[in-house]
Amino acid sequence: MESSRRLQILRDVVAVTVVGIFMFPIFWWALTSIKPISAVFDKDRVNFFDFVPTFINYGVTLFGQSRSQLAIDQGLGMGVGGESAYDSRQSIMESVIISLGTTVITMAIAVLAAYAISRMMFRGRNGYLNWVLGQRFMPPIAILVPLVTIYKTVGLRDTDNLYAGYFGLMMIYALMNLPIAVLLMKSFLDDVPKDVDEAAMIDGATRFQTFRKIVLPMVKGGIAASAVLVFIFSWTEFLLSLFLTTEIRTVPVKIQTFVTSTGNEWGFIAALGTAAIIPSFIFILLVQKNLVRGLTLGSLKE
Amino acid sequence: MSANIASYPDPGTERRPWLPRWLASESPIPWLLPAAALMIVFGIYPLIYAITLSLYKKNAATRKMVFDPTHNWVKILGDDRVWNAIYNTFFYTGVALVFQLTLGMLIALLLDSDRKGYGVLRAMMTLPLVIPPAVTGMMFLLMLNGSFGVLSRGIIALGLLPTGFSILGTADTAMAGVLTAEIWQWTPFMVLIMLAGLRSLPKEPFEAAAIDGATAVQAFFKLTLPMMSKVIAIAVLIRGIDLFRAFDYVKVMTDSGPGTATETLTSYAGRIYFGNADFPYASTVALLTLIIVIVVSSTFMKLFRVKL
Repeated sequence: MESSRRLQILRDVVAVTVVGIFMFPIFWWALTSIKPISAVFDKDRVNFFDFVPTFINYGVTLFGQSRSQLAIDQGLGMGVGGESAYDSRQSIMESVIISLGTTVITMAIAVLAAYAISRMMFRGRNGYLNWVLGQRFMPPIAILVPLVTIYKTVGLRDTDNLYAGYFGLMMIYALMNLPIAVLLMKSFLDDVPKDVDEAAMIDGATRFQTFRKIVLPMVKGGIAASAVLVFIFSWTEFLLSLFLTTEIRTVPVKIQTFVTSTGNEWGFIAALGTAAIIPSFIFILLVQKNLVRGLTLGSLKE
Repeated sequence: MSANIASYPDPGTERRPWLPRWLASESPIPWLLPAAALMIVFGIYPLIYAITLSLYKKNAATRKMVFDPTHNWVKILGDDRVWNAIYNTFFYTGVALVFQLTLGMLIALLLDSDRKGYGVLRAMMTLPLVIPPAVTGMMFLLMLNGSFGVLSRGIIALGLLPTGFSILGTADTAMAGVLTAEIWQWTPFMVLIMLAGLRSLPKEPFEAAAIDGATAVQAFFKLTLPMMSKVIAIAVLIRGIDLFRAFDYVKVMTDSGPGTATETLTSYAGRIYFGNADFPYASTVALLTLIIVIVVSSTFMKLFRVKL
């Protein structure tokens, strides 16, 4: 008994250590965001806590404080150029618009398709399902190069028209998120017995009324979980937004602009990075229960 | 029952006579159309465009495109950078999968407990998953910096590397550096899926094995692993597809360098695109990526009888 207790304690210690190792980069990142420059670039030792915390990095990136203020505060004679280049409020706005827009478009389209796949018997049902699933296998780069040319031709670039740029990016994000949304919603809809639909339609409701008034409320949780995942994937996307837009800079792309030829602005990078992580963290904790289902496109349930 | 049905008009056709019949009836078309339209306009059409592009030759000097269906595909065969990128992509995918699977399984076994506090640990393990990969890349770029990176300094302090050694700036170690970020971010994915798999296992075989005197290790290899094979196959498939499009970490941490040491298929296509604006050739390399993904994943699905 004594030895099994010891073993249990050993397991606890190992478990906490392992999770601790995985949390370390996040901790270090958050710590870097409140460090003054001198502590970030400390070449003499690894500087954990030997500094006066500063929020100037957040001030500059999120609240539009002037960068020269930072130079004065920290007594640096560094260049004060690029005043507004670090103000990321615009980028955050753009990221929010893109992610929310994508989520709404994707979910609206996906729920309809998932309902038909789950509820109706029609020829080519499997073919359609495989078509949707096939999208998940396609590397985005395969359509990216022609897409840039197509967007240029039809004027969907953000340099032609800002709204068109938003639309163009949202649509391609919607396409990329479509498989996960459709398959996940199908899996949630499959959990609702078909008798429910039949009963409603016998009572005189149309297909669409049944769908909207009866079935949709029953899969609210599933819709929320899918929407959260779509939002997160759009929020974190990098490749497509890097290639397709120039005026619109989503947060992951914006951060890269802080890497300059004269050195990386680590304080700003970490501050904006930390700020970009927080919404994802909140969202992910909300959908813990359906996370496995989501990540495996509905094929595994927890 | 039948009287009940008869007392109502046919819901689809008579209640809304102004709707076209195909919209009001049981047709699945209106339900499927929006998604199909999205997939055709933004998926199929660009794909066909890409295939067409790959059949043209771009003259670097005149910037004219000439129809020459074999030019790019022949060029690929003789392009050392393509082969290097293919090698790097497979290497990246393979190493990451092995590490993520092994670590994922071990950590899942470790965290699969009903004791107090383990739920919190499991929730914490999911956090890396939702960080933008481009941000993760920056995190590790900072931590792997040769002169002040905390991770680099740790390794140097252990005496494994000379002082000031730049892991990402050295061709031999750059890939390992990029893989560190990849493995850190996505091992939790495997942990999560393995945990779900472990929790769905039936209890009886394990009780029987314990009575027969099987050790925990024996039970793992003879019972747990075989029973988890479907779950593992699904995890490998989904992760593999994503690993094969490796771009974010590479772009952010090394920009495919030093030289072409960490150049993957996606980043090479991107470099051709940005570098010499040779759209047809960039498209061809991108299509090659797609072809490899299709061949490898369908072989895998056949071999292991996986269905998503």
